[in-house]
Amino acid sequence: MSAVQQPESLQPQSNRVFRSILVYGGYLAGGIAVVGMIAGGLAAGGIGVLSALIGTGMSVVFMGITAGSILIANRFAGTAAAIGAFFGIVLGGWLLKFVVFLVLVVLLKGQPWVQPVVLFLSIIAGVVGSLIVDVAVIRTSRVPYVSDLSRNPDPKKR
Amino acid sequence: MDATTVLAAISGNIATVGYGLAAIGPAIGVGIVVGKTIEGVARQPELAGQLQVLMYIGIAFTEALAFIGIATYFIFTTGQ
Repeated sequence: MSAVQQPESLQPQSNRVFRSILVYGGYLAGGIAVVGMIAGGLAAGGIGVLSALIGTGMSVVFMGITAGSILIANRFAGTAAAIGAFFGIVLGGWLLKFVVFLVLVVLLKGQPWVQPVVLFLSIIAGVVGSLIVDVAVIRTSRVPYVSDLSRNPDPKKR
Repeated sequence: MDATTVLAAISGNIATVGYGLAAIGPAIGVGIVVGKTIEGVARQPELAGQLQVLMYIGIAFTEALAFIGIATYFIFTTGQ
């Protein structure tokens, strides 16, 4: 009979914070997209609406990939390759994200259905809004000290 | 005889150099943030959760600069 309590999960407790960031980031994306579409529509008509939608989507998705990659990398928590996998996935995701972002920027530039100024301003709004959400969520979140190691009863598995 | 001599010339868009510069700063910044996080986790693995959150906010602010810098491509080359 074993008196050792099995942990409910070996996932780091920071996962809750990153999930909240993704959820509230999604809400924010909806809000900025609506405001941007109205402003873009007033400024440039139909292509303004489309540009605002694309710009907001790009910025929020690309900012959210960082939190998403940390969530994916945390699945390796508790394994021998945890640290290598964590930084490999997070930094690999970062690099991939910027390559895709650059390719998208080059592809979108010069398209007749894109209004560049509206697109640029939407990206700025999305990026700044994501930062505000990040700070707000992290400020109100509680990540306990001594959270992860103490939850694993078998140190040999780490 | 010409009073000016052209030693070097570039063709294309000088703004391209700006995009490269916009990537250098955030790359160094993210490298420092991640490197320091690795140091912290190596010293105190039990703080990994907290350090991840702090690392995330550091990366988010740093990469915002890169996004804005690269996105300036949309406005600085308008009309070309």
